Amino acid sequence: MNKCERIEKSIGPWLDQELSAAESEIVRAHVTACSRCSEARQRLERIDRALSSLLVDEAPKIEFASFWRELEQRIEQKRPWHKRLLEQAGDWTSAPRAAWAVPALIAVLIAVLSYQSYFPIWRSRTNFATVESIDSYGRNVALLREDESKTTVIWLYQNQEGDDEAVEETPPAGPAF
Amino acid sequence: MELSDWELVQKCQLGDMSAFQELVSRYHQKVYVVILGLLRNREDALEVSQETFLRAYRKIGGFKGGSSFYTWIYRIGVNLAIDAQRRQKRNPLEFRDSMDSVLESQDEVARDPFAELHDRELRENLFKAINDLTAEHKAVIVLRTIEGLSYKDIGAILGCSEGTVMSRLHYARKKLHDKLRAFL
Repeated sequence: MNKCERIEKSIGPWLDQELSAAESEIVRAHVTACSRCSEARQRLERIDRALSSLLVDEAPKIEFASFWRELEQRIEQKRPWHKRLLEQAGDWTSAPRAAWAVPALIAVLIAVLSYQSYFPIWRSRTNFATVESIDSYGRNVALLREDESKTTVIWLYQNQEGDDEAVEETPPAGPAF
Repeated sequence: MELSDWELVQKCQLGDMSAFQELVSRYHQKVYVVILGLLRNREDALEVSQETFLRAYRKIGGFKGGSSFYTWIYRIGVNLAIDAQRRQKRNPLEFRDSMDSVLESQDEVARDPFAELHDRELRENLFKAINDLTAEHKAVIVLRTIEGLSYKDIGAILGCSEGTVMSRLHYARKKLHDKLRAFL
């Protein structure tokens, strides 16, 4: 490879200002003195000008507003569903919007606690009867609750003397539980 | 006071959408022009530009600032454009239309008919010569011509050394010169 071929490879980096000061000086001095390398430099500059004209000057301008609008839509479409849900939840629980939640929560609690009053069909049957011995003297307590009429009877009684055995439970008279 | 790219990136990482919007406004035109230089089709370039910023938005959380933002965004855009170019099975008619639309814009300025004819032929042949370059050669030519980027930055974008950039530029320019010899 002769000197011109070596220099010719360096003309591009020289014009691009990518050579060191010492290298640049060597190329500059040679190109100034050598007609062949001087022509190579001019051809390279013409190519760069034509490229710049074609690639830069003729490129259309993109309107930012429409570019951004479309990009925002794409971002929204590609966002995972759980992130979107979290963001929406964040919106709804923000301070101004949370104001409605307090009375709503109170209303829901009242409804849940008193649902039996509003929806009798859901009411559970809680008829209840029990007899417990409370001491060694034969005293007993009987608790009876009838749900429909909301009647509760607490009956304290004592077994007859000499009767040490537990009283045999017999169905009390009155309404069946 | 205008925020730096890195400050905007940090705001993006905290979920600030307006910071991302500012970054897009700074770079959308530059990214589009570089991608157009690679694809030579306006619609495709717009589509790939959109995809570039969409990817950037999704990956910005992992951007550590090891390189400048523009190097990073160009790397995404150029890689997407090179992929698109390799996949592209461009309809010749569509290619012709896109080229004509570029060339027609030059006819609006009335000049010396001979000079105009010469310039038109030069542009048309330059257009073809660029399209005949490999994706790697086209990328270095476009990044150097459009943005005037340093070999170091071009290497960072393309993932190669400065020496490789220098070599690719030399051969790309040589190929263009060989094909345009009659017009230079």
